[in-house]
Amino acid sequence: MAASFLRTLIPFDIYGGMKLTGKYFGKVFIQSNRQKKRTHFTAEYPEVKVKLAPRYRGRLQMIKDEQGEIKCVCCLACEKICPTQVITIEKGKKEGRKTPYPTRYDFEMERCIFCEFCVESCGFDSIILNHQFELAAYNREDFSHGMEGGFQNMFDVTPVGHYSVAEDVQ
Amino acid sequence: MFKTEEMEINLGPQHPSTHGVLRVKLRLDGETVVKCTPIIGYLHRGVEKICEDKTYFQGQVWTDRMDYVASVSNNLGWAEGVEKLFGITVPRRAHYIRTMLTELNRLSSHLLWLGTHALDIGAMTVFLYAFREREQILDCFEAFCGARLTTTAFRIGGLREDLPPGFIKQVQAFQDRFLDCLDEYETLLTENRIWKKRTVGVALLNADDAIALGVTGPVLRAAGNPYDIRKAFPYAAYAEMQFDVPTRTAGDTYARYQVRLEEMRQSHRIIQQCVDGLPEGPVMAKLPKVLKSEVNEVYHAIEAPKGELGYYFVGEKGSQNPYRMHVRAPSFVNLQALPKMTEGKLLADVIAAIGTLDVVLGEVDR
Repeated sequence: MAASFLRTLIPFDIYGGMKLTGKYFGKVFIQSNRQKKRTHFTAEYPEVKVKLAPRYRGRLQMIKDEQGEIKCVCCLACEKICPTQVITIEKGKKEGRKTPYPTRYDFEMERCIFCEFCVESCGFDSIILNHQFELAAYNREDFSHGMEGGFQNMFDVTPVGHYSVAEDVQ
Repeated sequence: MFKTEEMEINLGPQHPSTHGVLRVKLRLDGETVVKCTPIIGYLHRGVEKICEDKTYFQGQVWTDRMDYVASVSNNLGWAEGVEKLFGITVPRRAHYIRTMLTELNRLSSHLLWLGTHALDIGAMTVFLYAFREREQILDCFEAFCGARLTTTAFRIGGLREDLPPGFIKQVQAFQDRFLDCLDEYETLLTENRIWKKRTVGVALLNADDAIALGVTGPVLRAAGNPYDIRKAFPYAAYAEMQFDVPTRTAGDTYARYQVRLEEMRQSHRIIQQCVDGLPEGPVMAKLPKVLKSEVNEVYHAIEAPKGELGYYFVGEKGSQNPYRMHVRAPSFVNLQALPKMTEGKLLADVIAAIGTLDVVLGEVDR
């Protein structure tokens, strides 16, 4: 009875919480910017970008081999496995090339869910998901990616739209 | 002299304390709730119908988007359900990695719950600490499968790839500091008088009512019933793990808080056992190129952070798609207990009741 009354009178619980807050406050106050080791958990995003994991799933990108030739041979595996049907391939031919050549490879990014099933199904390593994550744009057309002609480029890490905060700062 | 009448108000669907788009129609007499009617369906996407049109491989991406804070658990339920349907045996190493990731996901889900629930009730500090640890878990997911929330972590028959180099070290670094972090949350909340005033005896639900309503997970265990699918029907590598099922008998918000915190300690134990006893070997079973089902049906339940998550599949002969897919979503069933918890109580306790049920509206509406 007396013990519980004392506990009500003297706020030990509040003291414990304040001590913890004080501990972290003091730690930050003393250590900040003095240690080489990273002690904080946040990054000042537009200026400092967090290092992404090697397996990060970003935008779909087509890659070329050493001769600058497109690796894709139009097996349509990625088109078939895509859960949201964002890939459209048109089979064609190119002079001096034995395997089929994609005359059209359209990628509608507005519906893409970045599951990496297409990359997994590809037997020729012709597509990857790169590390691009700033994928906002003002116009719907900016989300349509293709090989050429009025589309965003599928081959390079190009900005999707005029969106990047990081670029504005630089 | 004074004319009194009951008033009807809407809590939500844009109220920040309803954790999404839950709308609760409340009939109030002064500050006392007379009738409480949850209205759902604002986030309905028709996942079950969509999955009938997709192959077993493709359907997994929709499970990510049901319970978006515990997507790895959802992936596990889907993958194991389909494996049960086709009789695929998964390698032991894949089982261990799956168990480890699912328990990490349970931690991240409970941490999100702890932060937001405390924030609803009025304790701001815990939110920041809880999200600090959650960040580290999400980094682990990013290293393993490349995404932080919509993971699509597993494949039918095992895993897509083995663990990335340095992953075990990353998990161990988290493991080493997590128990201290749990003590920090306890310092801030467990004995705090304001926290106790807002939680002890609030939103009561006894075991009989919980069973009658079909409530599972920590809400049921806080009422005194030690039902945990990891123990009752072991899946993945849980048969080889040693852990306890924490229970409390009070059945109030404080008991649920204690159960979830104790569950986090047990998850920590399971992850440590997975890290220590990780077997060598392949991570993918040998599969036929195209999965085609005979006519049969399967129900597979797992213990998601919110409760029993069950997948029901009906296969179609020669088809790559399920004929029918149904999800027994824990949040959906647990939400039924809300009127029972709140009717006759105060309006402010409705917020605590919604928070303590830990509903995710993506899973309620599907």
